[in-house]
Amino acid sequence: MAYKLGRIAAAFMVSAVAGHAMAQEVTVVLAEELDNVDPCEASRSNIGRVILQNVSETLTELVPGTGVEPRLATSWEETEKGTWRFHLREGVKFSDGTAFDAEDVAHSIARMTNPDLICEIGNKYFGGIELKTNVVDENTIDITPDPVQPIMPLLASTITIAPSEAPMDAYVDVPIGTGPYVWDEYVRGQRIKLSANPDYWGEAPSVTGATYLFRSDASVRAAMVKTGEADIAPNIALQDATTDMDFSYPNSETVYMRLDHSIPPLDDVRVRQALNYAVDKEAFLGTILADGTIIAKGITPPSTIGYNDEVEPYPFDLEKAKALLAEAKADGVPVDTKITVVGRIGNFSAVQETMEALLSMWQDAGFNIELQMQEVGDWVEHLVRPFAEDRGPEIVQAMHDNANGDPVFSMFFKYDCEGAQSATCDEKLDTMIEEATALSGDERAAKWSETFAYTHEIAADVMLWHMVGFSRVNPRLDFEPTIKTNSELQLGQIKFN
Amino acid sequence: MKKFLWKRAVASAISLICLIILVFFLSRLTGDPTDLFLPETATQEARDNYRRVHGLDQPLVSQFFRYVTDLVQLNFGESVRRAEPAIDPVLRGFAWTLQLATVTMALVTLAAITLGSLAAFHVGGFFDRVATFFSLMGASAPDFWIAIIAIVVFSVGLGWLPTSGTGSVWHWIMPVAVLFIRPFGLILQVVRGSMITALNSAYVKTARAKGVENRPIIFVHALRNALLPVITVIGDQTAAILNGAVIVETIFGFPGVGKLMIDSILQRDFNVILAAIMVTAFAIFILNIMIDLLYAVLDPRIRY
Repeated sequence: MAYKLGRIAAAFMVSAVAGHAMAQEVTVVLAEELDNVDPCEASRSNIGRVILQNVSETLTELVPGTGVEPRLATSWEETEKGTWRFHLREGVKFSDGTAFDAEDVAHSIARMTNPDLICEIGNKYFGGIELKTNVVDENTIDITPDPVQPIMPLLASTITIAPSEAPMDAYVDVPIGTGPYVWDEYVRGQRIKLSANPDYWGEAPSVTGATYLFRSDASVRAAMVKTGEADIAPNIALQDATTDMDFSYPNSETVYMRLDHSIPPLDDVRVRQALNYAVDKEAFLGTILADGTIIAKGITPPSTIGYNDEVEPYPFDLEKAKALLAEAKADGVPVDTKITVVGRIGNFSAVQETMEALLSMWQDAGFNIELQMQEVGDWVEHLVRPFAEDRGPEIVQAMHDNANGDPVFSMFFKYDCEGAQSATCDEKLDTMIEEATALSGDERAAKWSETFAYTHEIAADVMLWHMVGFSRVNPRLDFEPTIKTNSELQLGQIKFN
Repeated sequence: MKKFLWKRAVASAISLICLIILVFFLSRLTGDPTDLFLPETATQEARDNYRRVHGLDQPLVSQFFRYVTDLVQLNFGESVRRAEPAIDPVLRGFAWTLQLATVTMALVTLAAITLGSLAAFHVGGFFDRVATFFSLMGASAPDFWIAIIAIVVFSVGLGWLPTSGTGSVWHWIMPVAVLFIRPFGLILQVVRGSMITALNSAYVKTARAKGVENRPIIFVHALRNALLPVITVIGDQTAAILNGAVIVETIFGFPGVGKLMIDSILQRDFNVILAAIMVTAFAIFILNIMIDLLYAVLDPRIRY
């Protein structure tokens, strides 16, 4: 009671003194503390939600539904085959007062790909790609990726820019960026504070400051928004998402079962199709999984270019699954061989129940199949090459995140013969991926669309669902979470009601 | 006394060395942090490089030798997840946990001794029955359930207290209350049992025969003798909180060492795990010494 009275009194005094100013600040409660605050780690969701486009900006920006838009680069063109020239925004300053120029871009690229620093952005988006930079003048830089990357402007949306003073071999303790907010303080274990950057090059944001708090328990995060202690809880549990303040949104994650095509009976397309027909994907929706979850037919979410609307997911047809299995058996395919399903413990809410239900459906179709739920360290050895030589036929459960709008971030390493997580080796598919990667514009979208149709036809995997996330937002804010909320939370996009 | 302290230090050092060896090798059994830290798309070259940078490519014995060499110099190494020395988050977290444990156990001790003594004075009476019922219920109720219910009732429902955090004295009420319940129930029962024995002893009967009043009989004559077993339990319960009030720290967003240890185990941040264990083990060693010294103060017959 005293606390309640105290809060009312404090609010009265603050409003009397500061007028409207306090109301323009927001509090965001996150599930995880930031173990690292370096901009080159901003592709990790817990870090990205605080600093990406708030403190540290990228060269370009992928806007859902629109495409690649300018950010620190105002325009770009391919000057010669494989070389991209970026024209940089003039008059931009970092929060430490130094001017932003092409040298900062070259330094940021060298830094994020430095093997001794180990940056997530370099490893996630530029593994196996060499980036050569050439500073043309203060506001122009040429970037030449090897091998050639026709989607370099899209890839540039992942490159966060730090000043040239950022050390090459150590993470920074305080991120310095060009964004609309300045890093004020980080009290480890408790809070992070950002405030509006008075020298920001763009439009001044409505939110003048933000405090980030950390609570591991989803129900506590939800309760904090309900009581007014926080304004946004970007990731709450399905069971807590019961009020008008809760939004569901596609979270860019796709759950699928990776099939190992190199080992019988999974090398037979009829067996793989039977696995697809045997799963009643609809039955999970609104029961084990949240309403709003979308049945998947490809490895990337519907917001990705080339998403093939004409492909229909495999329907649930137990008789057809049994018939395909019988046909394969009659042709000598060892369909009775025991298949192991490897699931990842804690990969998503209700993963255990989901795996058990899938196992039961496949057993109903006549598969000899067993389930092993494994911790991430063991599970990843089944997912990522090199695979064990003496393994049997395996189906690996995985969840893939692609919020970047282009299938190139997924297709090579999931399906190419050389892909780090590929258990498929199909020359036709490799060619299609290679061709689509080299194209741009509508041709690129069409080729990816064709590639998705092919992976569906050969039942490359068992595609399951595009997942949804839930966020709770205080009604005083005019803000609706999108697919990007999984990886970033731009305070500049928040308005007040 | 010096001889006693020396003996205890040697015994504790042996335990600590065994603990270091055990924890070092057991933590390595949980796997390699490389796959947790790097994205799934990382190349094999990047994985090899990560292992090289963090010394994970070295044979286990070499890693252990390097760890012990650093430890002798009080160097716990760098955290593989955090851009800071491993000891830094541990000391920050331990300071919070120590405060939580101190406040909670001070309140528990005061309440359990007072109520336990009063319950023992009229065994089977109304007060005794009520105290026994609630203490047993408290000792057996799960922390996480009480914590969530407390938030639902006192924060969301009534709006009396903040849900979580550390900003003001109001933020401490629910975490301390939840941590209070279990040791309170346990210690109250020990105080009660120990006091029943003491109150039936010859010296208490003598005091009564001499016309001494109830209050000095309970709190001066009987309590001092009844406290020896109670102190042992208080020490155990304090050590349990110091080792990590994980549930309470997690739910109430308290940045203590218990939550840090669990996070570090899940992330396989070996240096932080080992630093946390060393710091808490040292604290428990100091706690045990203090309890031994308190024994001597309470019972002059004890000589070290």
